Amino acid sequence: MQKTIRCPNCQKITKCTGKPGETIKVTCPSCGAVGKVTFESIKDLSSEISLVSIKNISKKYKDVLALNNVSFDIKKGEIFGYIGPNGAGKTTTIKIMVGLLNKTAGNLSINSYKMPEQKEKAHRFIGYMPQEVGFQKWRTANHALTTFGKLSGIDKNVLQKRIDENLNIFNLTEYKNKKISNLSGGTIQKLGIVQALLHNPKLLILDEPLSGLDPESRYQVKKILKELSNNGTTVFFSSHILSDVQDIATKICILDWGHVIKIGSLDELKSEFIEENQIEIILSKRSDKFKEISNIPGVKNIIEKSLQKFLVTVDKTEDFDEVIHKITKTLLENDNRIRSITPASPSLDEVYQYYLRKGGEKQ
Amino acid sequence: MSFSLIFKDELKGFYKSKVMIFLWIGLPVLALLVHISTSNSAEGMSISLITSLIVSSIGGLLASVMLTVNIINEKDTHVYDLFLIRPIKRWYLLVSKFLAVYICVSIACILAISLGVMIDYFESEIFLNFIIESVTESFIMSLSVIAISSGVGILIGVISPSIVVGVVLVIFVGNYVSSIPSIIPFVFDIENPVAIVLALGAIVTIILMALGILLFNRKQF
Repeated sequence: MQKTIRCPNCQKITKCTGKPGETIKVTCPSCGAVGKVTFESIKDLSSEISLVSIKNISKKYKDVLALNNVSFDIKKGEIFGYIGPNGAGKTTTIKIMVGLLNKTAGNLSINSYKMPEQKEKAHRFIGYMPQEVGFQKWRTANHALTTFGKLSGIDKNVLQKRIDENLNIFNLTEYKNKKISNLSGGTIQKLGIVQALLHNPKLLILDEPLSGLDPESRYQVKKILKELSNNGTTVFFSSHILSDVQDIATKICILDWGHVIKIGSLDELKSEFIEENQIEIILSKRSDKFKEISNIPGVKNIIEKSLQKFLVTVDKTEDFDEVIHKITKTLLENDNRIRSITPASPSLDEVYQYYLRKGGEKQ
Repeated sequence: MSFSLIFKDELKGFYKSKVMIFLWIGLPVLALLVHISTSNSAEGMSISLITSLIVSSIGGLLASVMLTVNIINEKDTHVYDLFLIRPIKRWYLLVSKFLAVYICVSIACILAISLGVMIDYFESEIFLNFIIESVTESFIMSLSVIAISSGVGILIGVISPSIVVGVVLVIFVGNYVSSIPSIIPFVFDIENPVAIVLALGAIVTIILMALGILLFNRKQF
């Protein structure tokens, strides 16, 4: 089996191969740092079993192909972030997953149950929050949750306790007996997550759960999703807020025009994006002779991000550490003051734009 | 268990709604107004009979409009998404809505007609047995009309893309379809029309509901 690791010293991403349960010694090809990597044992690999398996799913609305051969697996305990521009097909995929829409072609199974043929069985394992949470407005929050709890098969003796606990976790206790028509959009959004969580589902499917929430609530929801994942719940969520996806997703899928552009962990996505070694230099004092570093062998390009912030591209064939050493030396000799020199790591935003451009070029 | 839960919830939702409060208070008030305005002019017709005729047409219309608007509104606001991802049958949602509205409107009709009967009994010299006999016939016809109207309301609610289209359709189609069972016995000169009206009402309602459920089951949300 293969594992992608990031060097804690120089942040260089490397792939290594080993057997299940084996611990191997790894030397960073870039900085030479030595470390150990342990591969999961067969027992640990039980979490590798796919809870959701989507194979070549397509969806056609009259003449419009909304999804085209979409395939991916979601493993137990994963937090799967599903991102893409408006109209990419995220909600369509989600609605097919929960059985609200029929697929035109392909196979889908959830916890080994075929969808939509066995959707009533699969629904017992799914907690779903739609993009627009629609509660009947005449109900109180507690009444709505009680109904959905009962319909999900929760024992009436434990239902109220579970509702109270979940309302408390999301700081919604004060709204318990208020009518839905009197609640704000953000509160309804959080109630939407609560109704999805009530029956302790194995798989939580959330369509844009964080949009419309204030920063504090977003932080709170992300924390809860991480905790759920640690306790074995699999989370699938779509989002436009890339920083949120970057914060919590263990696997990311980029979708565009109904096609899967890229799937992988954030590190895996970045590894392809980083084509050359780049370093970011921040100076606290910049001298006139700053550009002297461009004469160092191996320095290919210097991009001025701001007056004191630079992105330096280093030739891949050169010794990265040696070049950094020379850059540092040259900067100091030329009366610059260095605040920091770090290997440049792209944000998910940059990675996302890169893959969308790449996907667009292919099409 | 799921069906009874959804039915109880729908019943609760409808009987607490403003339209239903208007019906429960409004229809008996209408019966009183009919009494006041027609006491000198409608000779030969009891107040109970006039009330039951008015009530059946208003009750049926309101039931159908209420159901259509409710279903379209719930489709638009994605209410069904949260129900349909739970292990329940889709028809539970429509049948429970139909029964809830039918029961609520029927009770409102009973209240209004009972008030008419009481007025007739206290203000005229007509025997109570005679009043009840004449009103029972028209009340049964009213129940049939309300059932068909409710069925039309469900069907149009399922197929209609917007509230405006739905309401226009339900007012025209609902009125025509619900009058079919009441007209047929008179067209064919049938002696005991009540049984025929009831049977026809049940058949038409079942067809409308079956069609509505079939389309709702195929619907993608």
